[in-house]
Amino acid sequence: MNDYLLDIENLQVQYVTDDGTVSAVNGIDIKLQKGKTLGLVGETGAGKTTTAMSILRLVPHPPGKIIGGTIRLDDTDIFNISEKEMERMRGNIVSMIFQDPMTALNPVITVGDQIAEAIMIHQKLNQEKANKKAEEMLELVGIPGNRRNDYPHQFSGGMKQRVIIAIALSCSPKLLIADEPTTALDVTIQAQVLELMKELKTKYEMSMILITHDLGVVAEVCDDVAIMYAGRIVEKGSLQDIFLTTKHPYTEGLFNSIPNIDNRKAELKPIKGLMSDPYNLPTGCSFADRCDYVMPICREKSPQKIFFSENHYTECHLYATDIDFKLGRHQE
Amino acid sequence: MLDKSKKRSQSADVWRRLRKSKAAIAGLILIAIFILVALFAPLLADYNEQAIKINVKERFQPPSQDHLFGTDEFGRDIFARIVYGTRISLFVGVISVSIALSIGGFLGAIAGYYGGRLDNAIMRVLDVLLAIPTILLAITIVAALGASIVNLMIAVGISNIPGFARVVRASVLSVKDQEFIEAAKAIGAKDHTIILKHVLPNSMAPIIVFSTLKVATAIMATSSLSFIGLGIKPPTPEWGGMLAGGRNYIRDHMYIVMYPGMAIVLAVLSLNLIGDGLRDALDPKLK
Amino acid sequence: MSEILLEVKNLKKYFDTPKGKLHAVDDVNFSIEKGKTLGIVGESGCGKSTTGRVILRLLEATGGEVLYKGRNILSIDKNEMRELRKEMQIIFQDPFSSLDPRMSVSQIIEEPIKLNKLIVNKEDRYNRVLELMDLVGLSRRLINTYPHELDGGRRQRIGIARALALNTEFIVCDEPVSALDVSIQAQILNLMKSLQKQLGLTYIFITHDLSVVNHFSDDIAVMYLGKIVEKAPSEELFTHPVHPYTQALLSAIPRPSLDKRSEKIILKGEITSPINPKANCRFSNRCNYAEDICRETEPSLKEISPGHFVACHLFDGSK
Repeated sequence: MNDYLLDIENLQVQYVTDDGTVSAVNGIDIKLQKGKTLGLVGETGAGKTTTAMSILRLVPHPPGKIIGGTIRLDDTDIFNISEKEMERMRGNIVSMIFQDPMTALNPVITVGDQIAEAIMIHQKLNQEKANKKAEEMLELVGIPGNRRNDYPHQFSGGMKQRVIIAIALSCSPKLLIADEPTTALDVTIQAQVLELMKELKTKYEMSMILITHDLGVVAEVCDDVAIMYAGRIVEKGSLQDIFLTTKHPYTEGLFNSIPNIDNRKAELKPIKGLMSDPYNLPTGCSFADRCDYVMPICREKSPQKIFFSENHYTECHLYATDIDFKLGRHQE
Repeated sequence: MLDKSKKRSQSADVWRRLRKSKAAIAGLILIAIFILVALFAPLLADYNEQAIKINVKERFQPPSQDHLFGTDEFGRDIFARIVYGTRISLFVGVISVSIALSIGGFLGAIAGYYGGRLDNAIMRVLDVLLAIPTILLAITIVAALGASIVNLMIAVGISNIPGFARVVRASVLSVKDQEFIEAAKAIGAKDHTIILKHVLPNSMAPIIVFSTLKVATAIMATSSLSFIGLGIKPPTPEWGGMLAGGRNYIRDHMYIVMYPGMAIVLAVLSLNLIGDGLRDALDPKLK
Repeated sequence: MSEILLEVKNLKKYFDTPKGKLHAVDDVNFSIEKGKTLGIVGESGCGKSTTGRVILRLLEATGGEVLYKGRNILSIDKNEMRELRKEMQIIFQDPFSSLDPRMSVSQIIEEPIKLNKLIVNKEDRYNRVLELMDLVGLSRRLINTYPHELDGGRRQRIGIARALALNTEFIVCDEPVSALDVSIQAQILNLMKSLQKQLGLTYIFITHDLSVVNHFSDDIAVMYLGKIVEKAPSEELFTHPVHPYTQALLSAIPRPSLDKRSEKIILKGEITSPINPKANCRFSNRCNYAEDICRETEPSLKEISPGHFVACHLFDGSK
């Protein structure tokens, strides 16, 4: 028995296609406590969504294949249970919100029925009770309950995302995975939805994994942050660790790439080059080609985790010999 | 997404995927055989001596060394007639589809690209044509124009125009709202340049598939019209006509109808296999 | 005093929809000096992209004037417009759909030169393509590749090269970086900035991303439902936003830092579409300060301090 709701160890996922094998996730470890929110940050192709799909055991197969590691969710090793048991966990223990609210709802079923359906499947309630619960869920996410007989096209983008959140929360999951939940929304609507998610998280004492590329959103919502690059977590720590004592050059690069809204004269310092070819990852550190601090050893050996505190670590050779190494970026 | 410096064009991609489908390869081999037979017909049989000339002494010969597929009621060699019939069937099939494609494609492209009233006018007229069954329309046209190879091609061609117009219009519609069309406008391209250089090349996939399938139906239509006596006039060898001529003897001399029938089935089947294979190979989602 | 390159007066674009007239762009006015950048910000459906397209006549305006170098381009004929397109270009949001998938990199960049017969000699044209590729930082070895083989950042560079292939002076940039990853986004923004300095370009920069627009623009116009609600130099707009909508918009940006946590202004409701709008303030139903006058009459754009315009009844008088 441990106090982690989610415990991922050395997860490895590959996609085998005609053009070769893509190593989407290359051995990552995530431990998430009850009630905490983890931000999973990275760019396209970093392996964020694959990680999430692995937790739900929904990696499309073929071409995807989990080739190693374990995931313990609520003290159950999910790679060792039947599909039926897994189905019971989805919704009840873990639930997911997807990026695009426009396509995640069935256009020919009323929103109330879509929420009620999720409730009936998982909670064995009768139609009447499920309908009532659906109405409550709608109210909970800030939509008048009398709109439960409306169809998805009668809702705007922000309201659809609220409906999706209502569905995801209808069975009170212990872990909610949100994959870029606000990327498709406008800023003012994004602010509304984030506010709602924060509120619900506290109310239900849920754990949450928030997948995003937006460090601004992370700063708003998360307790812990994991930065992913080319299928590995290159730096992980508390929000303060990542934002105030940035260690990995890639994390630093991400911060320097964002226009500073309070200082419009500040120059952007983009990360040079492109993400390495996922079909053919280089030996050593995958970030070496884009790194400003690259050393010969970076191209030879994969870096090991180096811990700065119990919770904060990075995978970078810079700290192997000198743990007090300082990156160029200084906090404002 | 890959940064491969080697050039890989889209047609090479399509071929690579097409090769993976066994059915499509079988279809390609079959159709290649038909094309070779049509091209080298004189090497396989003598047109005047074997395919046309009436030879009463040799009537109803079963298949043998001399007559591979036997002879018909006039003593003509069925193998020779099928060989020369291949020429007609493929020719009529391809030409009538070309007619339908060029006229239907033109109408569909301008209807789709310009939209609005022009679109409405063109498509409503074609809808009326579409309401009449293809074969009935073809029969009417041939009946009006008189039976000949040219008229047959025109009839089959015209009756397929609405279908082509619809397919082309639909794929033009899906392409024309993409930003690269706007980009072309922004650099000062004229409408016809945009349609010819950007819209049509990008709407080719469904058109190619549809054309392949339509050649097959055109071969069927040609044979059907010949069967009811509205197509190719005897003694010119044509598969449908051969079926029609042989149907009175089907009880005693089945081979007279069996071989031309098989030729039609194989030609249509091979084109359908290729069409289906192309549809999968051209679908970028399967990449 | 620098000259005005583009001036937009009372620009209107209405669309006919089954529900009525959609006022996508309604009486928009602004001007841009040569070599400067005007940012147009707003949420989806506010008419910012339509404004950009109407200026380039990719859509025909319903009314108003677009003066480019003093000449109203909405009233000139097709051939004259084609001539002008050599100077006025556009960069699109989606580097996936804005490039013809059947054309190679060289064909795409070469097309505008060929179409406008700027360089007739084939070899010279090829060299010009190489020159443009160098200019936007595309490696020469990519010249024969196809868009689907490249990543978003490189595709966007192709789009920029195409826009620069003519004698370009003015570019409408329609969300040029919103489809890109942050690290690539910064590369493209820096490229566009240096090109502007190098070639003296004038930009209209359309985006929903306020931090990007602040970094990139000299002046910013905030649009809401087809109207400009506030317009000011960037510095001024970000330090002294006065329109309630601008304030809410600015406070809603998630900031990637732990200090300076400002209280968020959460707006009620959502943007609706401006179909047959009433003559009132279009923001009044979501505004936290709305008074009766806001729901009854339409505010006009007024200058409250030099260069700072706002359309809000709260600032009509001495308030």
